[in-house]
Amino acid sequence: MIWVDGSLVSPGEGGVYGERMIRGMRAWDPHRSKMAAFYYLGGVLELGPSMRVLYLGAAHGTTVSHVADYVEVVYAVENAPRPMRDLLAVAQRRSNIIPIMADATRPQDYLPVVEMVDLVYIDVAHPAQVQVAADNSIFLAPGGAVLLMLKTRSIDVRRAPEEVAAESRAGLEARGFAVGGPRWLSPYHQDHAALLCTRLK
Amino acid sequence: MLRYWFGDLTGGSCIPFQSRDPETIARRLDQLRREAAGTTAGIPLRWEMAHDCGFIGSRGEYLQILRDACAIHAEAHLAEEAGRPDRELVQMVRMLDQVDESANLLTERALEWYAALDPAFTRKYRRIRGPQAVSLVRESGNPLLLEMAAGIDRLVGMRVSLAEEIHARAATLLPNSSALVGGLVAARLLSAAGDLPGLARMPSSAIQVLGARAALFSHLRTGTPPPKHGIIYQHQRVHRARRAARGRVARVLAAKLAIAARIDWYRGQPDPAFLASSQEAVDRAGGGR
Repeated sequence: MIWVDGSLVSPGEGGVYGERMIRGMRAWDPHRSKMAAFYYLGGVLELGPSMRVLYLGAAHGTTVSHVADYVEVVYAVENAPRPMRDLLAVAQRRSNIIPIMADATRPQDYLPVVEMVDLVYIDVAHPAQVQVAADNSIFLAPGGAVLLMLKTRSIDVRRAPEEVAAESRAGLEARGFAVGGPRWLSPYHQDHAALLCTRLK
Repeated sequence: MLRYWFGDLTGGSCIPFQSRDPETIARRLDQLRREAAGTTAGIPLRWEMAHDCGFIGSRGEYLQILRDACAIHAEAHLAEEAGRPDRELVQMVRMLDQVDESANLLTERALEWYAALDPAFTRKYRRIRGPQAVSLVRESGNPLLLEMAAGIDRLVGMRVSLAEEIHARAATLLPNSSALVGGLVAARLLSAAGDLPGLARMPSSAIQVLGARAALFSHLRTGTPPPKHGIIYQHQRVHRARRAARGRVARVLAAKLAIAARIDWYRGQPDPAFLASSQEAVDRAGGGR
């Protein structure tokens, strides 16, 4: 990852959402992006120019645009119509973003277009996030990783985030993953935890 | 047979799709999406398959055609979404609520301004609502304040025509729900649910407390008493009911609304028999006992 003067940046055409430029590089704000927060808080997951990424919950394409600056191709899946417009606008200017309008809980819907990837990144507000991770790990190439941005409040608002995260971790381990984390994303994002998972084989 | 965007694989052989035109491929994506219903995800593709198939020559070409086709596919979905009448009605309701809020705030501010000019002004023992406030402010003699008052007046006028339009559209889009609770309340329920299919899929217990989010979550989190009603409180049979009967009326009304919303979405026609029995059930819940 590229750091300039203590700020995380990505190389690429600026002006996507009014981001700050630092010496010609796009500042990647940890307050706006959970993935940036993950790196600011010591997360280790190197993005490289040969990587292929499946991004679930692409939303307005803010984080997607930064990921696309680092990797070969991003398959960006988003289900909601309103954010999809913004994502399409971003994809129009970046040739390595493939916008897919589909539901992340139904991988069979995008099976005909998504290839094997090195990283499955998941940021969806769904109660069954762990199941989404498991179902989508079919796209994982050998040696690949799943980075799950766990929204504990979407899983259960009544229970303590720590409890929800521990249960999710156990659920992922039961489905055959080695899990690093939870890495809590505070102070940038409340009640969000990053779980970095690799397939046990 | 494994069907991917670039072609169909059977055993070891591959039949490439007949066209490399993104528009045509987008239509194929639609077709494949329909076929995927009811299946589970199988084997992911490798891009080399498309190459071996003779569909494309290079990785760059592969990504370019795929990206264009996926974008067109998504745009087609968006176009379908944008034409939906429930989407516009939701925005109209939200605009109405925003206009109300803004008009009230501006009126309050204008009155404060007026109070600075008239030392005898007091709000005690009188109710000053929008129109009265505007006519009061007219007497101040300050032309700027007058202009503000005229602006507020116009805003209130727009509100009236907006409410009428919402009424009319709710009557066509939500014929059964509107008959039960009136167009405005039905439209507000729609707005809170987000869209019509969303409202139609809601259980009545959720419809009952739509719009009472803070109370509902405080109940779930800390065990305060659960809310009896949300937006449906605005309907007169709920808010005019005796205190003891209010919860019952809200529950029965929500149950009927859940059915009404489903008829509205899946059938789109008023159902007189259902409406008659529902109106009676709601009335019975309010009276008696």
